Amino acid sequence: MKKIIKKQSSNGNLEEEVFPEITSVKISGSVIERFFEEVSSLTIFALRFFKEIVKPPFEFNEMLKQSFQIGYRSLPLVGITGFIIGLVLTIQSRPTLAKFGAESWLPAMVAVSIIREIIPVITALIFAGKVGSGIGAELASMNVTEQIDAMKVSCTNPFKYLVVTRVLSATLMLPLLVVFADIIGLLGAFVGVNLKGSVSSYLFFSQIFQSLEFIDIFPAFIKTFFFGFAIGIIGSYKGYNSYKGTEGVGKAANSSVVFGSLMVFIIDMIAVQITSFFQN
Amino acid sequence: MTTEATPLKGNNNKRNNMIVVEMIHVKKSFGENQVLCDINLVINKGENLVILGKSGTGKSVLIKCIVGLDILDDGKLVILGKNISELNDKELMVIRRKIGFLFQSGALYDSMTVRENLEFPLRRQLITIPKEKMDMLIKEALEDVGLAETIDLSPSELSGGMRKRLGLARTLILKPEIMLYDEPTTGLDPITSKEISSLILEVQKKYNTSSIIITHDINCAKLTADRIIVLKDGICAAEGSYSDLKNSTDAWIQAFFE
Repeated sequence: MKKIIKKQSSNGNLEEEVFPEITSVKISGSVIERFFEEVSSLTIFALRFFKEIVKPPFEFNEMLKQSFQIGYRSLPLVGITGFIIGLVLTIQSRPTLAKFGAESWLPAMVAVSIIREIIPVITALIFAGKVGSGIGAELASMNVTEQIDAMKVSCTNPFKYLVVTRVLSATLMLPLLVVFADIIGLLGAFVGVNLKGSVSSYLFFSQIFQSLEFIDIFPAFIKTFFFGFAIGIIGSYKGYNSYKGTEGVGKAANSSVVFGSLMVFIIDMIAVQITSFFQN
Repeated sequence: MTTEATPLKGNNNKRNNMIVVEMIHVKKSFGENQVLCDINLVINKGENLVILGKSGTGKSVLIKCIVGLDILDDGKLVILGKNISELNDKELMVIRRKIGFLFQSGALYDSMTVRENLEFPLRRQLITIPKEKMDMLIKEALEDVGLAETIDLSPSELSGGMRKRLGLARTLILKPEIMLYDEPTTGLDPITSKEISSLILEVQKKYNTSSIIITHDINCAKLTADRIIVLKDGICAAEGSYSDLKNSTDAWIQAFFE
């Protein structure tokens, strides 16, 4: 389809000017534009976090409250998930290892899989679903009901009080939750191993500790800080900058989970590349 | 009645003539939408100024500019003798502490109880306040608005009128010199609206505050206004007392009183 525009020429006659249809280019242009706008404003938001975190006053009480909400209240969900992952992974891996006569490697293989990759990533995804969406929805709802404006007029820095405390709590709590889920996951694996056989806890855990190395534990632990930070900052960004109205609250919660989860995979991919580089 | 945008002098006879807020040729737009075109107004100490106008004429934007939630595009805003555009962040914070803002929705913190809602501004601004003094201030603020018995309830357990009154108590606890009310009676029944209007008057008498009241409620305007300004197309289109405007021959102004 072509676009025709009628223009008046200098001699007063109407002239037709024909333009090619450019809708698709416009759409893709605006999508790319919006993507870069979003990335740049998220980066500015994250930089503001680092600026505000070192500036007094420090909101210790609110941070403790948020750490309790984000960390302690997530323990049951993370614990149950960790146990099931350990149990299921053991049950599923046993037949394959048995085929190759390597059943005795089961505890070591499960432990390495759980600690290096599965528990950190699955816990982070659950964390994005529970905590990321919670932060996004809460801040968006505060935005809609003018609570953030009310903080501003009572001389409180809402960014410091709401965003810094939540992002910091998410960054510090996720690694602890992952350690907790690792322990519960290994217990699940122990139960899984003993469903078809009899292995003492001493033998099981000594096999695990013999197979695990520093390079298995340390990078897996460090990357969870980045997962927690990404989930916290994306949830806060989406909530704090939500559009007014109830639709905005839903969108903020939803996009917090979607982008938080996506960032977990991206960070994981980068972390694996860096770890592999040092291993080689 | 003024029909064009000239600096308005206020009701100088009634109060002690000290100007607390002055807006001179104030302009504010959002994108291509020019909301405030050329606002000129003054508010004297202890005066209640009501701003009337159709929805979307920039009434709320005007008071948000005063409290610093929106930034002016152009013009001069003088609060308590200080030109806002010339102040640094610290000086601006000092001015902000003297301004109370009652939001249309009350803007209560849902995750906090009534007591915590009142404690919040006190803790932020009077960091070293002793517990006994804080309890006394909270009790006094709640008694002022008739909500003493709700201290341990959460905002979700309060009615619309109670939420408005609690919002007012939270603002009053810091003893502001200037009060800004954003549609204080919207969504309330006529009896509760009258109670809120009476409360605005009581607050003015007790704390000698100067107030700007944004409202569509003509009964609220009648009860509370020392002076009324009508906004139209981003300018102050008319000014006068309630009776001046009620007796106006302008059909557009008369429409507010029908």
